[in-house]
Amino acid sequence: MHELEGLMAGFGVILTAQNLYLCFLGSLIGTLVGVLPGVGPLAALALLLPVTFTLSPVGGMVMLASIFYGAMYGGSTTSILLNIPGEAASVVTCIDGHQMARQGRAGAALGIAAIGSFIAGTLGVIVMTFFAPLIAAAAIRFGPPENFALMVLGLVCTLFMISGSTVKGVLMVALGFLTAAVGIDVVNGHERFTFGSVNLSGGIELLAVVIGLFGVTEVLANVEEMVQSTVLAERIRGLWPTLADWRDSWRAMLRGSGLGFVLGLVPGGGPVTASFMSYAVERRISAHPERFGKGAIEGVAGPEAANNAAVAGSLIPVLSLGIPSNPVTALLLGALVIQGIQPGPLFVAQRPDLFWGIVASMYVGNVFLLMLNLPLVGLWAQLLRIPYRVLFPIVLLLSIVGTYSANKNVFDLWVMLGFGIAGYVLRKLDYDLAPFVIAFVLAPLLEQSLRQSLAMSPDGAVILIQRPVAALLLAVSAAIVVLMFRRTARIPGGDQ
Amino acid sequence: MMFERALNAFWILLGAATAAYAWSLGIVGPSGPDSGLFPLIAAIIIMAAGLILLLRPNPLVASQFPRGAALGRILGVIAGLAVMAIGMPYLGFAVTGAITMMILLRTVERTSLSGSIALALASVAAVVWLFDHMLGMVLPRGPWGF
Repeated sequence: MHELEGLMAGFGVILTAQNLYLCFLGSLIGTLVGVLPGVGPLAALALLLPVTFTLSPVGGMVMLASIFYGAMYGGSTTSILLNIPGEAASVVTCIDGHQMARQGRAGAALGIAAIGSFIAGTLGVIVMTFFAPLIAAAAIRFGPPENFALMVLGLVCTLFMISGSTVKGVLMVALGFLTAAVGIDVVNGHERFTFGSVNLSGGIELLAVVIGLFGVTEVLANVEEMVQSTVLAERIRGLWPTLADWRDSWRAMLRGSGLGFVLGLVPGGGPVTASFMSYAVERRISAHPERFGKGAIEGVAGPEAANNAAVAGSLIPVLSLGIPSNPVTALLLGALVIQGIQPGPLFVAQRPDLFWGIVASMYVGNVFLLMLNLPLVGLWAQLLRIPYRVLFPIVLLLSIVGTYSANKNVFDLWVMLGFGIAGYVLRKLDYDLAPFVIAFVLAPLLEQSLRQSLAMSPDGAVILIQRPVAALLLAVSAAIVVLMFRRTARIPGGDQ
Repeated sequence: MMFERALNAFWILLGAATAAYAWSLGIVGPSGPDSGLFPLIAAIIIMAAGLILLLRPNPLVASQFPRGAALGRILGVIAGLAVMAIGMPYLGFAVTGAITMMILLRTVERTSLSGSIALALASVAAVVWLFDHMLGMVLPRGPWGF
């Protein structure tokens, strides 16, 4: 049982004062980010990424990962008390969670959300402990053609899962590739798309892109509609669910955990998709579907479990294959690359301290989050009274600090502003921004794999179908593309 | 609808210009694929997608761009960020940040002058204390040393 030995070594890494502090700090920031509407986990990760440059890789990654799963816990508080999702994965929790709060059962809704999140998060990490090393071991023999095919599959799956137009999704992927191509070609040193600018020769900064697209864009979208909301539940009571609540929700929690974990694994899936799917499943299989939308506790337990399990699931492809499944894991991949670490099949073998440290930290982090979210729920509820008009200038100041800190270059602020405006306009026109970020992060690896594959074969691109694993992965990609076109053709009005 | 059509036409032009530039970089060199191959593929995809979107516009997407006060708030945020990018190298983070905060609070939410000043100074002081002093991330300073 190498996994258990690895996990024990991981606990040895994480159970130091500094790493425990960083795990707790990340959990606290994650909960805060989840609670405050208009500040998503991606923007928070991007803002705090420069802080991790001064930390050890283990400490930095532990903090960033705990912000990610911490936000999933915190998001439910806002959904239940305010009927506004704290972050995207908690949208469906608004439906029944807020209804429960209106019926005076905010405590039970918050309690079941926190307990469901804890159970699912822990189950997800247990499966991750045994599953991730297996995948990495299987992928260790991959060469450039297999890596290329795997990344193509990841991008195709992302396009399959996105909401809205597939053509727009494809366009965003291509734009991501193009943006990543700006700078010096690492293979031969040629400058591309720099137009003689020194600022562009180093490439477009990942943080400026992410903070612009997901921080500034979010602020612009929120200031457009300054909604005044009132917090329900002056005093939150009865956090521990009753026996009837347990009876109604334990199956939903387990189903949500399983579904969330699987959807987290799939590129393009992740916590948001998982929570929606879980809600749909619970309503479909319920003996009393009419209760949904009127305060059904399963409608809180299932989605909250699903979005937390999806976090563990979505970390597996990025840590064991180097393939991010959503923008947050793309940023985590970027954070590792900045630290000089390349996640992939060799990651588990070459950096066991880091891999198992992250896994072990998730067990610890889930306990921290349960403690933070149950006894301190009243504090989080008070934070919801901070009006957005006070919050958004601070978010913008933090965005500026986060962007500037990466390179100490004011040019990055202009890049951030440009991407913020572009992201706002594109969102208005129903473009999904997630494929752009994933393509932007994957592009250097994808290009390198493609060029290595073509260079190593006298037959050119034929090598991609001569190698069985690469051919299989590309065949699956092609099948998904066919499915996408069939789905598009079935919808009246074309590509929606 | 008009704006979306213009954007779709822009994608085609962007793709064509990028393809031409990528071609000039070289597609295949003596040692295999060259610098222009990958951008060329991306450019062709952008062009093709733009063409499809232009020929098959989506009638269901009726985007509502902001007008009036909402547009004013958005322009206020953009102006605030632009002031920050222009002023920070000369005035430092603290002073530019305070000015930007005041612009945002006055134009976007029309907070009272005294409230804006208090909130701006408190927020900037908190950010500088956290990042500059606690986390050791040196923020740009103005000629007056902060």
